[in-house]
Amino acid sequence: MIEEQLKQIREELSTDIKNSTNLKELNDVRVKAFGKSGLVTALSKNMREVAPEDRPKVGSQINTVRSELEELLKTKEAEFENAELARKLQEEQIDITEPSIKVEIGAYHPVADVIDRLTDICVDMGFSVVEGPEIESDYYNFEAMNIPKNHPSRDMQDTFFITDEILLRSQTSAVQAREMEKRKPPFKIVCPGKTYRNDSDATHSPIFHQLEGLVVDENISMADLKSMLTILMKRLYGEDTKIRFRPSFFPFTEPSIEVDVSCPNCHGTGCSICKGTGMLELLGAGVVNPKVLEMSGIDSKKYRGFAFGFGLDRTAMILDSISNIRSLYRNDIRFLEQMKGE
Amino acid sequence: MKVTYNWLKDFVNITASPEEVADKLTSAGMEVEEIVYQNKHLHDVVVGKILKIEKHPQADKLVVCQVDIGKEITQIITAATNVFEGATIPVSLPGADLVNGVKIQKSKLRGVDSCGMFCSGEELGIDENYFEGAGVNGILILPADMKIGQPIDKALMLDDVIFDINITPNRADCMSVIGIAREVSALYGIEMRKINLSYDIDVYAKDTVRNYVNVSVNTPNCKRYMASAVTNVKIERSPLWMRARLNAVGIKPINTMVDITNYVLIEMGQPLHAFDQEEIEGQQINVRQARVGEQIDALNHNTYELDESVMVIADSKKPMVIAGVIGGTNSCINDNTKTCVLESAVFDLKSIRLTSRKIGVRTDSSARYSKGVNVASAKMGIERALHLVSKIKCGKVVRGIIDIASEKNEERTIIVSVKLINDILGVEIPTKDMLRILNNLGIKSTLAGDRMTCVIPPYREDLENDYDIAEEIIRLYGYDVYDNVDYELFKNSAVTEGHHHPRLALERKLRSLLVNNGFYENISYTLVPSDIANKLLITDKRKNLIRIANPISEDISCMRTCMAHSLLANIAYNQSVGNKNLKIFECGRVYLTDELPLKNLPTEKNMLAIAICDDSTKNNENFFYMKGVVEAILNNTSIKYSLVRSSQPYLHPGISADILVDDKVIASFGQIHPIVAKNYGVTSTIVYAEIDDDYLASLPAKKITTKNISKYPIVERDIAVIVDEKITVQEMLDAIKSSCGKLYYKAKLFDIYRSKEMQSDKKKSVAFNVKLSDTEKTLTDEEVNKVMQKILKSLNFRFGAVLR
Repeated sequence: MIEEQLKQIREELSTDIKNSTNLKELNDVRVKAFGKSGLVTALSKNMREVAPEDRPKVGSQINTVRSELEELLKTKEAEFENAELARKLQEEQIDITEPSIKVEIGAYHPVADVIDRLTDICVDMGFSVVEGPEIESDYYNFEAMNIPKNHPSRDMQDTFFITDEILLRSQTSAVQAREMEKRKPPFKIVCPGKTYRNDSDATHSPIFHQLEGLVVDENISMADLKSMLTILMKRLYGEDTKIRFRPSFFPFTEPSIEVDVSCPNCHGTGCSICKGTGMLELLGAGVVNPKVLEMSGIDSKKYRGFAFGFGLDRTAMILDSISNIRSLYRNDIRFLEQMKGE
Repeated sequence: MKVTYNWLKDFVNITASPEEVADKLTSAGMEVEEIVYQNKHLHDVVVGKILKIEKHPQADKLVVCQVDIGKEITQIITAATNVFEGATIPVSLPGADLVNGVKIQKSKLRGVDSCGMFCSGEELGIDENYFEGAGVNGILILPADMKIGQPIDKALMLDDVIFDINITPNRADCMSVIGIAREVSALYGIEMRKINLSYDIDVYAKDTVRNYVNVSVNTPNCKRYMASAVTNVKIERSPLWMRARLNAVGIKPINTMVDITNYVLIEMGQPLHAFDQEEIEGQQINVRQARVGEQIDALNHNTYELDESVMVIADSKKPMVIAGVIGGTNSCINDNTKTCVLESAVFDLKSIRLTSRKIGVRTDSSARYSKGVNVASAKMGIERALHLVSKIKCGKVVRGIIDIASEKNEERTIIVSVKLINDILGVEIPTKDMLRILNNLGIKSTLAGDRMTCVIPPYREDLENDYDIAEEIIRLYGYDVYDNVDYELFKNSAVTEGHHHPRLALERKLRSLLVNNGFYENISYTLVPSDIANKLLITDKRKNLIRIANPISEDISCMRTCMAHSLLANIAYNQSVGNKNLKIFECGRVYLTDELPLKNLPTEKNMLAIAICDDSTKNNENFFYMKGVVEAILNNTSIKYSLVRSSQPYLHPGISADILVDDKVIASFGQIHPIVAKNYGVTSTIVYAEIDDDYLASLPAKKITTKNISKYPIVERDIAVIVDEKITVQEMLDAIKSSCGKLYYKAKLFDIYRSKEMQSDKKKSVAFNVKLSDTEKTLTDEEVNKVMQKILKSLNFRFGAVLR
């Protein structure tokens, strides 16, 4: 009898739960089942009408139904809550294309950035970064670099003089002799910095930047120079970069070379940047002239070296496709902002 | 240095095209910067003869000419008035593209056909100096004997190809046709033709050069002086072939003797001078240093005041020539010259360089002497000149050449090591190639084991050792041998440890901090105008501006002594182009000295300067933002400092601070002084900071130590008090900290408020947030309240603060 009832209640309430369409209706079902005068509650109250020997069995049957119904209620409730959450999330949707609130980030100067990149590469290759004075003696800028006073090779550079003996360094090479006097071979150094020449036109700034490199060791050769510069240029311009040597003249190197680098823009096929040649004339280099080593107290019978130097402004201009050297020193924010890249 | 293809062919029998020759020269280090075809604008121009001239039926100012152009008779209409029947003239035919941009085509002029145009000298790109009649205002009338129908470039010898070559300073020997020809000879392995130095002398004449001139050299700056005499001189237009050569390399033809000296200058690289013998007083040439007070009227129409530093060629009375630089008007060749004395000398390059710079005169002659002329070249030069005198028959060469030489230049022998050469180059060059290259270069070389004996010709003064020989070998062997060299990095060298520069490394951290907080890095000119100290109100040693002796302009004439100038100028520039709000910084040097003029190298100090320009903020927000930036920067170092009011003249005295370490200012920041801002034309408020980077980099690395953190929760309380304006936030924070004792975790200001009432009482309300923590237990309310009471008591007792 009570089992009949139980079955019927279970059926009825399950259907009610299933059919309820919102949390309130579901709550009504809960009250209908487990409220003070709920159907399940009533059954429990009626236990005393059950024969004592049947009570454990009936009790357990009631409990099973109770927990079944509770489970159903819970599931249904979760269903409603999920639906409600989904609706709410949908409602809260925003227009993601509205402009962002900017995190204010500035930018590095292109030349400073090139110095950072190059010195990192060179330090990786065992070079130490050094610096030297920009206001320099005639001795270190010229004489110690095998450019005696009144020598024709002085004509290669228009120098700013302060006095007869003090000048603005016209090349970072001025640091070479200073370091050779200080150091004992083997050593490898690079020196980035400002250089000055009395030369100002569309492609020349009177103040510009160079990076000088010097290696002194026992078995240094032109082939080492080639290998080292190849790595440097590949790291800077990409793995497919090639370099080529051409003869040149610098008083402090012998043999002296110009180094051409395959155009990073067209990869050697020819474009407007390389004027159709596929190559860019980027740096000067050579085997250190033994006279230079001797002047700085290094035994040229035992040691050899190579040196290289290049313009950082030009490097920055190529890397960042900057067309006018003047824009490097005007510090126009509209220009510098572009250094953040795209 | 300009040379021509045909001129080179006088000495080397090359068949290669001009382009090929140029490429070869460039690959060997003689960079050909430009190749110019003289006849680029002379195609379709021929020699013609006017057969008949008739009036144009429709136009009074035009005539119709029947013109023989060799293969046919053509009709040309002209407005020129200097033409006549029988005149030989240059005719440009349809297709011609003249140097002035005129393109010729068949046309009708007032209904009559015209198949070309007659040319003036100007339209052919030549002038009166080059060809008689080329300068007239009208058609160039050619000599009647010119072959009709001949292309004009051939007829006027304008068919050469000009190379403009960049000669490096070590190769003074290549400042000549002969020098370049030697390179071409070596590059192609074609032997040089012998240079013709022969000349005719009247074997029956008794007089010798001594009958015309005597020479004495009284200065060590003259290494060799040679002189010869030429009588019966004919001063006239030199032959066309000579004018053609000179014209091609950009030298104006003048007359026979002058042209010969210029011809030899270009061909042999030996400057010559020709004197009118009758003007040499006492028939005596003295090579000496000038005397103070001597003067000379030079050929450039200037008068020069001389002194002992200047070498002159003088006669018994007066200076005639500033040696090696420029001649005087008193003794030069003129139309009436009958007898000529030719000088071929070698002077010390330093002396010529100094004189040339001192008097500000640069000539073809001084340019060569400044690079160095070889002692051996004087003889070849004078003999070549005498050869040319004979060849063009412009005078009789007198027997004998005076030759006074203080220095000899002969072949030298050096011995080099094949192994060392290969070691220097890092590639193996076969010895037979080494020998071939050197011998082709005129360096007679032989091999015995590793030893190579090289006989260096006199003109190769640049070759001294193995390294020089290595370069000669590789530049002719070809640097393309390195194209495929890709060894392991430093395979034969010691491993060295790479180190970043300590200051640059620190700077990089600071730059990163600034960039990531919205600042843009600047790099400014370190050369500044001379008035920056005035503009920045600077009166200390930073007013000692180091000045360039030879500045390009006043704007960039002095070295920067204060970074503020650069950033203010950059802000002014940016504002002028509409960039309003700015956050910028620069790492750069200032150049400081105690004494001027400079005797020793000055101090170069590395500074970091920062500026903010933002008018949208108020209440000195930017000052405190900058303070935060400066603190964040200093926090990267182990610095211990104190903060005081700034004494920088360019900062607002009330809104600025200095960071002091041991009484030394190592950083300053604050609002730019309104007068300074005005001086730079900036109207908005700028907050500026500068920090001594060298000092920061000199500090020991920041040491990091950690303490155990409590596992019990932090308790937070706020407290707001009203105090006198004069009480600083820092004083109160210090008091709070000490009141908390060991329970102190953190305390910070979170608000300052001033009501009207407080303002009139000169008071302010200051609110703090206090965080307490115990390492042993969770704090109870009671314990916290006790601490807060203690804080209040302390603030009240020390500063008269009352709870708000």
